[in-house]
Amino acid sequence: MRLLTRSSLRHLTRHRTQLVLSVLGVALGVGVVVAIDLAIQSARTGFQISSETVSGRATHQLVSDVGSVDESLMRTLRIDLGVREAAPVVEGVGASDLVTGRALTLLGVDPFSEGPFRPYVAGSAGDLDVSSFVTTPFAVVLSSVTAATAGIAPGDTLPLRHEGRLWPLVLVGTLTPEDPLARIGLSDVLLLDVASAQELLDMRGRLSRIDLRLPDGARGEELASRIRSVLPPDVRLEPAGTRTDTMAGMIAAFDLNLTALSMLALIFGMFLIYNAMTFSVVQRRGLLGRLRALGVRRGEIVAMILREAFWIGAVGAALGLVIGALLGRGLVRLVTRTINDLYFTVSVEGVGMDPVVLVKGALLGVGATMLASLPPALEAASVSPRLATLRSASEARARRSVPRAAGWGLVLLVAGAALMAIPSRSLLLSFGALFLIILGMALLTPWGTVMLVSAVRPLLSKGSGILGAMAARGVITALSRTAPAVAALVVAVSVTVGLGVMIESFRGTLVRWLDGTLQADVYVSLPGPQSSRASGTLWPDLIEAFVAHPEVVGHSTYRGLDVVGAEGPFRLVALDLDARGEEAFDFLEGSPDAAMQAFREGRGVIVSEPYAFRRGLALGDSVALSTPSGPYRIEIAGVFYDYGSEQGTVMMDRSVYDRLYDDPGVTSLALFLSESAAEEGVVAELLERVGEGRFVTVRTNRALREASLEVFDRTFRVTGVLRLLAFIVAFVGVLSALMALELERARELGVLRALGLTPGQVRGLVLTQTGLLGLVSGILAIPVGLVLSWVMIYVVNKRSFGWTLQMEVGPEVLGQAVALAVAGAFVAGLYPAWRMARAAPALALRGE
Amino acid sequence: MQAGLGARSRLGGPVGAGLAIAVGALLAACGDGGPGGDRAAARLSLSETLSGADTAGYERALEIRDFDFPADHGPHPGFRTEWWYVTGNLTDKDARSFGFQFTIFRSALAPMPPALDSKWATNQAYMGHFTLTDVAAGTFRAFERFARGAAGLAGAELGAAGRDVPAVGPSQRSAPPAGSAQPWIPPAGSGLRVWIEDWSLTGVTEGNGFPMRMRASEDGVSLDLRLDAGKPVVFQGDRGLSQKGPEPGNASYYYAHTRLPASGTVVIQADTFDVSGLAWMDREWSTSALSGDQVGWDWFSLQLDDGWEVMVYQLRLADGTPDPLSDGVLIDPDGEKIPLEWGTDVRLEPTGSWTSPIDGARYPSGWRLLAPSQGVDLRIEPVLDDQELDLAFRYWEGAVDVHGTGAGGVPVSGRGYVELTGYAGDVRGR
Repeated sequence: MRLLTRSSLRHLTRHRTQLVLSVLGVALGVGVVVAIDLAIQSARTGFQISSETVSGRATHQLVSDVGSVDESLMRTLRIDLGVREAAPVVEGVGASDLVTGRALTLLGVDPFSEGPFRPYVAGSAGDLDVSSFVTTPFAVVLSSVTAATAGIAPGDTLPLRHEGRLWPLVLVGTLTPEDPLARIGLSDVLLLDVASAQELLDMRGRLSRIDLRLPDGARGEELASRIRSVLPPDVRLEPAGTRTDTMAGMIAAFDLNLTALSMLALIFGMFLIYNAMTFSVVQRRGLLGRLRALGVRRGEIVAMILREAFWIGAVGAALGLVIGALLGRGLVRLVTRTINDLYFTVSVEGVGMDPVVLVKGALLGVGATMLASLPPALEAASVSPRLATLRSASEARARRSVPRAAGWGLVLLVAGAALMAIPSRSLLLSFGALFLIILGMALLTPWGTVMLVSAVRPLLSKGSGILGAMAARGVITALSRTAPAVAALVVAVSVTVGLGVMIESFRGTLVRWLDGTLQADVYVSLPGPQSSRASGTLWPDLIEAFVAHPEVVGHSTYRGLDVVGAEGPFRLVALDLDARGEEAFDFLEGSPDAAMQAFREGRGVIVSEPYAFRRGLALGDSVALSTPSGPYRIEIAGVFYDYGSEQGTVMMDRSVYDRLYDDPGVTSLALFLSESAAEEGVVAELLERVGEGRFVTVRTNRALREASLEVFDRTFRVTGVLRLLAFIVAFVGVLSALMALELERARELGVLRALGLTPGQVRGLVLTQTGLLGLVSGILAIPVGLVLSWVMIYVVNKRSFGWTLQMEVGPEVLGQAVALAVAGAFVAGLYPAWRMARAAPALALRGE
Repeated sequence: MQAGLGARSRLGGPVGAGLAIAVGALLAACGDGGPGGDRAAARLSLSETLSGADTAGYERALEIRDFDFPADHGPHPGFRTEWWYVTGNLTDKDARSFGFQFTIFRSALAPMPPALDSKWATNQAYMGHFTLTDVAAGTFRAFERFARGAAGLAGAELGAAGRDVPAVGPSQRSAPPAGSAQPWIPPAGSGLRVWIEDWSLTGVTEGNGFPMRMRASEDGVSLDLRLDAGKPVVFQGDRGLSQKGPEPGNASYYYAHTRLPASGTVVIQADTFDVSGLAWMDREWSTSALSGDQVGWDWFSLQLDDGWEVMVYQLRLADGTPDPLSDGVLIDPDGEKIPLEWGTDVRLEPTGSWTSPIDGARYPSGWRLLAPSQGVDLRIEPVLDDQELDLAFRYWEGAVDVHGTGAGGVPVSGRGYVELTGYAGDVRGR
């Protein structure tokens, strides 16, 4: 045993570069997976903690689909039903210049009802001066940490921006909860009295929800049914956390997509390990043969190789955790930003080092390394003492296995396609299929390599003579080494191609959609915390003033509400549509004319594609809404393409909305200008009409379009980072493969040098060969990349988000792929070429 | 020393002033989720209560005023504190006895309400205490409530013509339990209404505002009583102006109904009792806070079966001696006051003690009350030793039996209520 260990150590220490690259490969793979996991986990935890802090110890909540309940319900509960533990909550989101970069949750509470609910208030009763909290208009209480961040002390003013107005809040106290979670959760909470909060959030007469504590068991059931009996039709009694869970569920698809992407990096890492271990086995064939001849059993050889793999995996994983932790810090900002842009408000106080994530990452790293090393380990064990030194034997076997690998590749491809054909919306299934396809493609690459190289060889020998032919020939004769390198490069480049095509298609689709949808010339909304979704309501006098502008010839109003319904969240939109705006919709189901007519007449609603897709609805089905006057069903008159809300949108005519909901609010306003109007000038004039102390976002069509695309680009920044990281891992893999390949050929090249080849010619030979590998990889990567992008666009995306995207393949993406592969391989070949060219032939010939 | 009577007579004075603090304490008390733990920290300090007062912007009790009933049963929101304080003893047809306390405190957190449109905007906070002593079962239950005087959750108002009075809760509408005496229901919105959630005291617009109806219910214990005025109102202090200190305005307006025949129902879990008996109501409003080194007080309200009432209290100073401002008064069957000078006319001697199981605090339990000049010599015994309210404020207030000789030395017996504060350590403020 000791002999084997020493043999292992000796080999690894003598091939340090290879060892370092292997460890690096694992480390990067694990790092990317851990970083993404940590970033998502931190965002989720941040959301969870702040939700829990805000809902406190409530067991149940009274909520309404329309986002608020009548405040008189509190009196009904307390007085008519004698429900003791009930607390009104008025909640909203704002921002302050003193607390930059974070959305602040405004939590309006009644301190007299709070006792049973929010323990963080209790831990610091001494700090909360209820008298001034209740009787000072717009008094606010902050966590002491946040107050310190903002640099304010009790008595100072906290300027708060909320939906177009600036409110000077008066800090009357700070809280220092003993519970660390509450401390984190409170860091973005502004505590206000319910009266101030109603006023500030423009919710007079309404409550965001009522928190309840119901006893367990039969008594609770009995109380719950008594409460239900007095509820207005749009108000629901639901267990606390239901809403949080629904909201958290919104990012499930986003989360899974990122995780899948991060797994790619690990898979590249596995390629690399496979490569490295294969080489280290190949290099030791003689040694292994001698060991076998000395009586070392096969199992012991396997164990030896796996032990090496284990240590490489362990060190790599440990390093990967460090990389992941560092990388996670950067990624969490991107991830959080995207969640804020697209889903809900969350702010994260740094990255939590969730031990589960770390352990998972470490196990994944070690496991993947061991798995990737299994084939080389088995190969090592199969070395027969006699044939050990015969390189040709193994190469012959490698060439023989090309068709078999291709056959397996085909099988995997078919299996992947079959998996995808299963009519399911399961994302896991889709990603499973995607990975099968990638693996299948990888197994097909040796065959593709042989075909391609055989095709190029005549050209090369014509162009570069004997050396060109040698370079091409070398690729095939050393197939057992070149194939994994090519496969790694193909997968890396094809993923880059696939993601690139997907993102380009998405962007193109979005641009076309924006062109169609944004029909008006000027758009008006309130500045909100979420850049992509307007919230709040515009002042009626402002709308009047804007519409009265002489250049304005027509207008549409838009009222958008994020409804967290029992069947999942969606956006409810009431449109008062100008005739000019009717072209805005591109229907995938229903004739535009019929749909818009039904819409106008209030006979039907139009729903977005994701809404219909998620709920399995189609034209002619009906939408169930819960309204203050009871449940309401209305027919779907059309399904339109929409890329604005992943959760889906239901649009109804304003007249229908006004009939169903008691809400005169307008979220945004679209203005049509006269032909001759200068947009920018009109925007400036409109802004003059806004009035003191009010803030409105007025954007031209072009500015809004740019802003939308900016959000899109920001969303895919995470993807871009991951793509780059995955490519780096693949590059390290190629580098290590090529280096090992070339170093192994030291003897061969020594012979060539002895035969009279100049160092420059050797360099040329090596670089031609690596360049050829790059070219082959690049060419092979194109079809693979297209298949991947097809799958991502039509299967993964559709299943994740319910969007139909138009696939667009630009020549530059494909050119890029080839260039990337050739450049990658070429760069990876530089160092080995330089080493080979410099080596003295005699030394090289002397061998090890 | 009649002027002193009532000035510090009831727990209400300091408690009312301290309500703002109590509200803060409540957060701690309730947030903790149960007795013990942080609750101790939440207990109020008397000194804090007495010192924290800022009187600027409030109305003051500066001069003798004309009381107007039933209007003055209603709130006086310009004053910082006010309370409706009802105690009483009841028996059912089988002579089963009950004692009760029902108090609603109002406290202004600021002189003016905040300038907000919200219906929740208010400067008024309310606190309710409700206790029921079941002598036969040997049980004592105490409950408390806090609410803002807004959004219909708590408040005090007079339903006058043309004034919009929110509909009273359904308990008003609900029929009393079958088999019980039908209590009288005042017409909705007609008179006084003081409420904290579903506890309420309501009256009528006519005459002196009586009869009134008092209802409280929690955790299976409920009380529903009709109160009639058995005697004219008694104005404490100088015609209702009860001076508390040498400075002008350092006073309260204070009147009492010392004999209110009561009838109605007591419900304890599944059992309903038709009861009748006598209640006592104190009404007081003020702005000024006390100063001084009192550690607590013992307060006695006794209703004797010869038609007389006795009200005596002693304020205890930090050095253990009674404050010379301690006082007493006798009320004859016609409602006339006979003042008793503390130390010469009236004397109080504890005859026993009781130890609180909560923390070993020792309360006196059982007294001998002597007013030799009037021939009064009464033995006072709690109907139950443990009538301690373990609430955000901890104090002892309970029903007592009285035997001995009354005015003129005639043998009498009766019932009453005794309030003891400052014995459980924290009230003093550690």
